[in-house]
Amino acid sequence: MKSYLLLFILSICLYFPSMAMNFSLDSNPDSVAVRGIDNSLYAQDNEQNCLRCHGELYYTIEDTLSGSVKRRLMGEHLRVSRDEFYSSVHWNFNCLDCHSEGYTAFPHALELRFEESWGCIDCHGYDEKFAKYNFEGIEQEFQKSVHYTAMEGEFTCWECHNPHTYKVHAREAQSSENFIVESNNMCLTCHGSPEKFGLYSDRKLGGVMTKHDWLPNQTLHLQAVRCIECHTMQGDDVMVAHFVTPKDNAVKNCVDCHSQNSILVGSLYKFQSKEARSKYGVLNGVILSNDSYVIGANRSLFISYGGIIAVVLTLLGIAIHSIFRIIIKR
Amino acid sequence: MSEKMYLYPVWTRIWHAFNAVLCLALIVTGFSMLYSNPDRFVVNFSSAVAIHNVAGVLLTFNYFLFFVGNIFTTNGKHYRMKLKGLGQRLFLQMRYYAFGYFKGEESPFPVTTEQKFNPLQQVSYVGVMYGIMFVLFITGWALLFPEFILKKLLGFSGIFLTAQLHVIMGFLVFVFLFIHLYVSTMGVTATSNFKSIVNGWQEKH
Repeated sequence: MKSYLLLFILSICLYFPSMAMNFSLDSNPDSVAVRGIDNSLYAQDNEQNCLRCHGELYYTIEDTLSGSVKRRLMGEHLRVSRDEFYSSVHWNFNCLDCHSEGYTAFPHALELRFEESWGCIDCHGYDEKFAKYNFEGIEQEFQKSVHYTAMEGEFTCWECHNPHTYKVHAREAQSSENFIVESNNMCLTCHGSPEKFGLYSDRKLGGVMTKHDWLPNQTLHLQAVRCIECHTMQGDDVMVAHFVTPKDNAVKNCVDCHSQNSILVGSLYKFQSKEARSKYGVLNGVILSNDSYVIGANRSLFISYGGIIAVVLTLLGIAIHSIFRIIIKR
Repeated sequence: MSEKMYLYPVWTRIWHAFNAVLCLALIVTGFSMLYSNPDRFVVNFSSAVAIHNVAGVLLTFNYFLFFVGNIFTTNGKHYRMKLKGLGQRLFLQMRYYAFGYFKGEESPFPVTTEQKFNPLQQVSYVGVMYGIMFVLFITGWALLFPEFILKKLLGFSGIFLTAQLHVIMGFLVFVFLFIHLYVSTMGVTATSNFKSIVNGWQEKH
């Protein structure tokens, strides 16, 4: 009996340190993560474990031999916000669904940095479930884009679309305003940041506002349209154009947008216009009227025709009066 | 030689000339923008925007001249209407334009230095100058600074509603312009009123 009791106490003593360690992790998952050079800490819910470091501003490393503990800043590009991840479209994915098993080892091996990441097409392509979004078409357009061609294939989907935070904006947005901001922020992440831009190019990054000096009502334009309205080749196959063209090919002619055949109908308002076409039948005048106003493109049929009719009736009245004046010679 | 009245002092003639030129520029460029088409245009879009903006701002300053002038000179009395009996007076004037004029009747409200507008002119001029033009200025200036416009109003884009109101008022001024020009041909001779607005003197009927 005594030997059983001794064995029990001994096993408690041996087991206790790891229990204590787990307790400190579970009780306070949002605090500074405790991460040793100890693979045993990797548990089943691996995104929780990954996020204990990658979801935090700081992480600590511990040398279990010397007992030395260091607190380190988690690099911004390695950080994944829990809020953003769990509200993104990929929220129910396990980290290892996309990342290599090798990441279960600490510290992470250097060669993992060269691991090729999945592209959108790898999961979403050639799948009936996603057929209506035409990921294959998106991939084709993307491969023709200046980003892809200039970087010899090094430029992937993830440079613009962060898979950890990705949300569907254009399809679900009630107002175009919201997805315009999201879309433009995607471009400005690099084109508004010399540091990030420098990762891809040795060219000096010019200021976005300076480059668009020629635009009248500049702020309104940059808030009301997406960069891709002018900087992509628009096709009918995909909802959001991915064929980003060199800057010399950008739209610079006002009437391309400000006219009845506005290219915005096929780009910015593509989704709304398709919806409205199926709902009302025709015409951009109806389509664009609720949410936005583009001079020359938005023609409220009622006002445009009403105005012309009023002018015609006035001229008709004048003509009749004139005829009587001529007849009566007054 | 018929008797002449001095109806249009120098400042009203200068104001009127600027008003006419600027309104024409605004109508032409307004139409160019509203019915913008890459293949057919009277004024190309970017020039139309620039001209429309400059003309709109100048017209506002010109309007101040009219507004202040009407407060501090006797010209303002022509824009003050007595509401009592207005309906009857309007009817008389309409009847005159429709029938009496052709029968050679005397105008029910002949032009005098005390009242240069007949009731119909008075109502339309007051409506245009103190109503329509005022709304055009407010909506026009708002569209120059769209960041101050309400984002949403009754579920519609604020800019959309402001622009549509601006377009409706623009059309009303356009319609007014035709009537104004036509009625001007109904003076002593077809051209006498046009001469008056240049030299200030009008012949009595």
